[in-house]
Amino acid sequence: MTILKMDEVTKVYEGKVTHRAINQLSFDVSKGEFIAVMGPSGSGKTTLLNLISTIDSPTSGTIMIDGLSPDEMSKTELALFRRRQLGFVFQDFNLLQMLTVEENLVLPLTLDGHPVKEMKKRVKDLANQLGLEQILEKRPNEISGGQAQRTAIGRALIHQPAIIFADEPTGNLDSKASRDVLELLAKVNLEQKTTILMVTHDPIAASYCDRVVFIKDGEFFNEIYSDDRRQTFFQRILNVLSLLGGNVNDLSTIRLS
Amino acid sequence: MTFRQFAYHNVVRNRRIYAAFFMASMFSVMVFFMYSMLMFHPKIEDEFLREFAVSGMIVAEVILYIFTLFFLFYSMSAFLQARSKEFGLLLQLGMEKKQLNKLVFLETMLIGAISIATGILFGYAFSKFFLMIVRELLQLQSLPLYISWKPFTLTMGAFFSLFVIIAMTSVVFIRDQKIIELLHSYRKTDEMQSYSTVKAVLGIFMLLFAYGAATFTSMTVVKALAIILPPLAALGTYLFFTHSVIFILDQVRKNKSLYWHRFRLIAISEVAVKLRENAQMYFIVTIVSTVAFLSVGTLTSLSSYTGQFRELNPLGLVYSSELTNPYESEHISLLRTELEEQGLSYNLVPFVIKQQTSSFSQYKVNILRESDVNSLAIALGLPLIELQPGKGMFIPYSEDSLNQLNNREIQTVLQESNVPIQIEGVYPKMLFPSMIIGSNIIVVNDADYRLITEPLEGRTTMTSSFNFYAFHIAEWERTKTIGLEIDTQVTDAIYQKDSIDLPFYFENPGLDYSFIRATFSLLLFTGLMVAAVLLLAAGSFIYFKLYTGLERDKRQFEVLTRMGLTDQELVKIVNRQLIPQFFLPWGIAMLHSAFSFLSLQVIWHDLAEVSILSEMILVLIGFTLIQIVYFFLIRWRYIAHVRV
Repeated sequence: MTILKMDEVTKVYEGKVTHRAINQLSFDVSKGEFIAVMGPSGSGKTTLLNLISTIDSPTSGTIMIDGLSPDEMSKTELALFRRRQLGFVFQDFNLLQMLTVEENLVLPLTLDGHPVKEMKKRVKDLANQLGLEQILEKRPNEISGGQAQRTAIGRALIHQPAIIFADEPTGNLDSKASRDVLELLAKVNLEQKTTILMVTHDPIAASYCDRVVFIKDGEFFNEIYSDDRRQTFFQRILNVLSLLGGNVNDLSTIRLS
Repeated sequence: MTFRQFAYHNVVRNRRIYAAFFMASMFSVMVFFMYSMLMFHPKIEDEFLREFAVSGMIVAEVILYIFTLFFLFYSMSAFLQARSKEFGLLLQLGMEKKQLNKLVFLETMLIGAISIATGILFGYAFSKFFLMIVRELLQLQSLPLYISWKPFTLTMGAFFSLFVIIAMTSVVFIRDQKIIELLHSYRKTDEMQSYSTVKAVLGIFMLLFAYGAATFTSMTVVKALAIILPPLAALGTYLFFTHSVIFILDQVRKNKSLYWHRFRLIAISEVAVKLRENAQMYFIVTIVSTVAFLSVGTLTSLSSYTGQFRELNPLGLVYSSELTNPYESEHISLLRTELEEQGLSYNLVPFVIKQQTSSFSQYKVNILRESDVNSLAIALGLPLIELQPGKGMFIPYSEDSLNQLNNREIQTVLQESNVPIQIEGVYPKMLFPSMIIGSNIIVVNDADYRLITEPLEGRTTMTSSFNFYAFHIAEWERTKTIGLEIDTQVTDAIYQKDSIDLPFYFENPGLDYSFIRATFSLLLFTGLMVAAVLLLAAGSFIYFKLYTGLERDKRQFEVLTRMGLTDQELVKIVNRQLIPQFFLPWGIAMLHSAFSFLSLQVIWHDLAEVSILSEMILVLIGFTLIQIVYFFLIRWRYIAHVRV
């Protein structure tokens, strides 16, 4: 079943210099899929993420999320849609500094006016699952980057959204914390059948996904599916990246044997 | 680009952030300049007015100067803190600390020079208007605009020195920080959440105690309280903002069903951070606003006293004379001529007041004749009286006595002449200025009055009664030039403490009124302008703090919008964040001044028998309205900035 459907989506930024950020891009995401979008700098990844997270609208083409078209909704309906159907994980976590970890977790539920009892129950379950029990009362500046990103993932999961968007979730983390976060995302995807769309630079991060979509200059370039072994999948991602002809800097220097 | 151009561009391109304290300092310069214009005015010749105007202006200017110094110092340090990232970058690019100091110095002096120049320009432009108002208030013939180097030099000297002090000292705030600290400008959120429960409770307790003491004060303790309460309330306010507020919000946070409710979660936690972060500033704003309310309120109540002046002094001119007074006819004809020259119509009612001892109280009583009182009552348009022989009536000698004597009934005998009188009730209005005939006055039937022939015990016929001339003048405010000569004699005699020797007494309420009115209204006007500067500055503090935190707030709202915060909820959150910031210091200042006025009322009532409640309410409402307008203005700008 398709949860996200992009059809010939084009985004043009008018200005002193007209810039075509996304050009006739089409792809589908099925329910329960863990998908990565890769591309060199300036390939339109951020624009794409803004479009599908409904905070920007396409110049032409249609986007359908869970059978609904954000284009036809009012501003308030869109906000409510994002609040209920979408979850977000950011590169720099974007936890609210004045809230504790626990309060950051329940934020989407309080916005939607859920009863306190239910929020407490969900926090308890999530904290258990994400290993956050010890730090629930701490504030974001008192915890490590890995813990912060796990909290952010918890915040994206707590309202059981239709799809989670992750924007470079490992960009600010060391390798150990990155692996933890990626394994966590993979586990959530596997156990709860949560659909995850991840935008990333990092081939290692991409290698945890079921499928990688490559874009270049706002256009679809290629897509590859995972196989049994992550190492070979990683190697194939690298191959495509080198084909992409992007910048050498985009390629990770790490090679897994 | 030279170094100076760089500094210049920094100021000009940061103008939106510099605007708040440019406005406040310009306004301060402007008011300061106008005060100096009055202070050095060559045309105020009246010695009393001159002394009064000059000393009033000096006090106002000193207050302005100190406050502006304080305000600029605070704004500058906050501003430099907000720009620490930029300074870190400059240092990283190889700027010397010395150059950085020079940069800050140049920028500050530039702002200073511009605000002094525009302040003086606007000040001079509005001086004509200002002097016109003062002329009206002081009822002077003319108070023209003039050009002299004095006010210009004073203003420039004062404010240049002020800006130099600011420019030299504000650099201290960035001097000792490492580049890396400047670059990251860490937000210290963890220490902001801490509070001490003891101090929090103490703060609330101190405020409650101060309020309680102010409410139940009495004349006997009011002086002691006046010394103890202000510092106590100030300390209480400080603790309230630094600890109690956070303590109270934390209690709310413990109640999850209250706290975890829609956008309340964000609003409450954000308010807690903002209030704690700016606690010192809110403390200052509260104290400043309290002082502003109090001064304006006190001054307004003074002018309400002038409003009641007429009721207490119903007569135009009063001349009383002993029978032995050789000047009597000369003075009265002088007054009549002067009144006629001024074209003022008047009614003159002469009384002969007889004195007797009352058998009831053994005190001296002043006795008026019924027909005299009635002719004065006709002139004043007051009710007439009708007394049967043997009956009498009290004449009130003060506002208080009206109530005290209202239901008194006394049977007495005027001892020397042996005339029995039954005194019933009191005349319902003030006929004479209070205490001018003494405190024991009655009016009796004409027949009884004729029976009083014997002199007061121990006195002769000549000294036991006196003539009293009551002038009723409809345009009583215009009498300030009448009888100046006689007035001078009376005043001189009072100053030399031998007024008993003068065989006459003269009072000109119109002249007294013009002095009281001029003094009070000039004070009020000066106070209002100082208060306006203080309030503008208090508002700028809040604007300034909001502006420096804008980047962070903007990012936060961006995240929240992405997570599905609707526009309406954003506005609601902004409201819940801004309202406490604007109205909490305001509300506390209101409470402070309301309770201060409760105790002031005690002193005031004793002084002048005037209620200041209605004036106070008016002043507080006025200030609240201004604050509400200011709130909406700032909210409008703030929302425009944070909305994505």
